[in-house]
Amino acid sequence: MDANSIISSLTGKFPEDIYDAEIESDIRTIAKVKPENVVEVCRYLKEDLSFGHLCCEFGVDYPDRNEIEVIYVIGSYEHPVILTMKALLPRDNPEIESVVPVYWNANWYERETYELFGVKYLNHPDLKPLVLPEEMLGEWPLRKDYAGFPNKTARNLV
Amino acid sequence: MDEVEQTNVEQNDVLDVGYTDVPGTMLTDSNAIADFLKKTKIQDVLNWGRKNSLWFMVNAMGCCGVELLATGMAHYDTDRFGIIPRNSPRHADVLIISGYVTKKYLPALKRVWDQMPAPKWVICFGDCAISGGPFYESYSTHQNVDDIFPVDVFVPGCPPRCEALIQGFVELQKKIEAKKDKGTDY
Repeated sequence: MDANSIISSLTGKFPEDIYDAEIESDIRTIAKVKPENVVEVCRYLKEDLSFGHLCCEFGVDYPDRNEIEVIYVIGSYEHPVILTMKALLPRDNPEIESVVPVYWNANWYERETYELFGVKYLNHPDLKPLVLPEEMLGEWPLRKDYAGFPNKTARNLV
Repeated sequence: MDEVEQTNVEQNDVLDVGYTDVPGTMLTDSNAIADFLKKTKIQDVLNWGRKNSLWFMVNAMGCCGVELLATGMAHYDTDRFGIIPRNSPRHADVLIISGYVTKKYLPALKRVWDQMPAPKWVICFGDCAISGGPFYESYSTHQNVDDIFPVDVFVPGCPPRCEALIQGFVELQKKIEAKKDKGTDY
């Protein structure tokens, strides 16, 4: 399958959930998905379009648009196309369904996105901080407006 | 007879056991001997022994830890200085902070430090441990490690070579010999 047939198959199966799709090149495609049905879209991608490899999952903060994007980069072993799927969430209460039932390796990705951006994953099996200590939960240090950086420069550096 | 027996009972009380009436002896469960020895020339002999057996804790914390491990290998032969890598903090004399100290790792590092028996010394190894290095404004690292640990020697570099660490040990030996180290109370 090439990029054209993948995008047409995806928009034909989910005409309402995939509200924006774009073909960057022969191997890169971008699709914007509504956050309510991301699990169904991922299951269709994995079982019918043979997108079996979730390469990574992360968040991007956009304070101007008051949005947080959750981005899934999904690859395949069958065809040379990588799909970048984006879900736009409101910044004050970002919540999205977890895709761990489909892609099990999203477990730690979602924990990391949770501790760094504050994206709350519903029905996640074990949503707790991955790398940061527990007491830093709630600071969301990778958001653009984070102000908790050490204000005093290290003394020995001067 | 009753009075004599009562005085014997009082003398056998555990808290009252002392050898103050025996001339020339001291209790070993106090710091009196150590405090007395610090004022004499014997402390020089003790420091000579300590400075020539600086066993360091193998605690690789970052990329500088690779140099730390390589220093303990056979190529540099640190045995000639009495420097031996130890894998247990109970055997170690020197803690080498060889990387950035994150907020999550600091409790574990403090625990390692508390498990080491005194006298013990600290070497800051690498730019990250000294000043934070590239991570000096990070949200997850601790600044100014020398506020937390009594650091004797700073070894700069990114990472420093193994020879630099050996030089740091030699400087620490000089400080111990001059009684200016922070690991012992003088």
